[in-house]
Amino acid sequence: MAANPVPDHVPPEMVRDFSLFTSPGMAPTPNGDPHAAVACVHAGPPIFYSPCNTRDGRGTWVITRATDQRRVLQDAESFSSHRSIFASALGEKWPMIPLELDPPAHGVFRSLLNPLLSPKRVTELEPAIRERAIMLIKRIAASGTSCDVMKDFAFPFAVNIFLRFLGLPDHRLDTFVGWAKDLLHGDDVRRPAAARTIVAFIDELAAMRCKEPVDDFMTFIVQTQVEGRQLTDEEVRGIGVLIFVAGLDTVAAAIGFDLAYLARNLKDQELLRSEPDRIALAAEELLRAYPTVQITRVATKDIDFEGAPIRKGDYVSCATMIANRDPAEFESPNTVDLAREGNRHAAFGYGPHRCLGSHLARREIVIGLEEWLARIPAFRIKKGTAPINYGGHVFGIENLILDWS
Amino acid sequence: MRIIVQKAKCQGHARCSAQAPDVFKLDDEGYILPGDIEVAEGEQRLASRGAQSCPERALELDRTPAARG
Repeated sequence: MAANPVPDHVPPEMVRDFSLFTSPGMAPTPNGDPHAAVACVHAGPPIFYSPCNTRDGRGTWVITRATDQRRVLQDAESFSSHRSIFASALGEKWPMIPLELDPPAHGVFRSLLNPLLSPKRVTELEPAIRERAIMLIKRIAASGTSCDVMKDFAFPFAVNIFLRFLGLPDHRLDTFVGWAKDLLHGDDVRRPAAARTIVAFIDELAAMRCKEPVDDFMTFIVQTQVEGRQLTDEEVRGIGVLIFVAGLDTVAAAIGFDLAYLARNLKDQELLRSEPDRIALAAEELLRAYPTVQITRVATKDIDFEGAPIRKGDYVSCATMIANRDPAEFESPNTVDLAREGNRHAAFGYGPHRCLGSHLARREIVIGLEEWLARIPAFRIKKGTAPINYGGHVFGIENLILDWS
Repeated sequence: MRIIVQKAKCQGHARCSAQAPDVFKLDDEGYILPGDIEVAEGEQRLASRGAQSCPERALELDRTPAARG
């Protein structure tokens, strides 16, 4: 991807050859460690300019300190999240909701959706989540002493839970995962095609639930009211598309990273297996060490930030994997300490756009680890195989073949 | 011990109540209820762990003598 020219207002000495997309370790790499690769930025300044740091090759400022990322992400007035990142793939301009809305409109939709994904609500979903995990893991255990974690467990687990939440049928799971893969990792042809397919699907689903309401998320969205009115078609679409794309591969990736870590660290694996009460806290530490998302904001005005002349319209990147390895925020940030306390990690972001699905996500991760460790004996990366890790817009892992023979 | 709650900074991570559910009470959206919290003697350890887990730094420990009373 070709980098845009560096804007004139960016001092040349603030430009660095760093990118979450193109730096060493970001491309799919066998046994790669993209999270460790980004941690190098803390040796440098708190903010610098990366000439090519979005999927479409745009430049961004990069914020390296957790405390500064908190400041940016808490200040939605100066740093907007409205980028039409999904709609732009179609040459359109509408927001995913609530992610790409700014206050005060954001708060209205956030309050509408928060109760549906609150910790309390997620607790009610727990039996169904556990049942699904047990079913998949029992099948894996019965069929041999090795499996492809992503294909056999992480995706069919996370995507099923999330489809059930949305009220969508499970038999199309592979289709949905394919759409998400094309959207997140596809080329210039596959990406807009996937976006178009997803929009058509969400529009059709909304129309169906209007006609024949059932007890599910989309029915709630088409029937509910904000500020005394029903939602517009564009708002329904903006919510549906966000929930659809946000839930499809992030949880699966987290489970993959966690099991890969445990496969390589047998002492920690045995500790969690013998003392499952530790899993909830350990999952937070693994979220700190292996987060998946880069958050990008757009400056709404000129701001001088730690000596950097941010100008209106500039992109500002707050990568969770950078905040989470900040030595000023975390002692020994590159060491995984499953008993770490005071863990203020940024895996779900900071500020008003804190991941709406975070409580569902962490519950799935904890339950997934609990049931996996309870049913699968000491496991390792299968000899002769290598998991492929990659950076980019959403960090991920593929070809994670575990063996417990 | 007292915990000073900066309600406006709460973004509903719920990391506090995950560690000390009896100390940190949440509303129906999953955000902290307004008002500072007086922590009972036996709950101080869990409460300070919960407060120190807040990604937004919305919870502040107040250990001044007045707060112990």
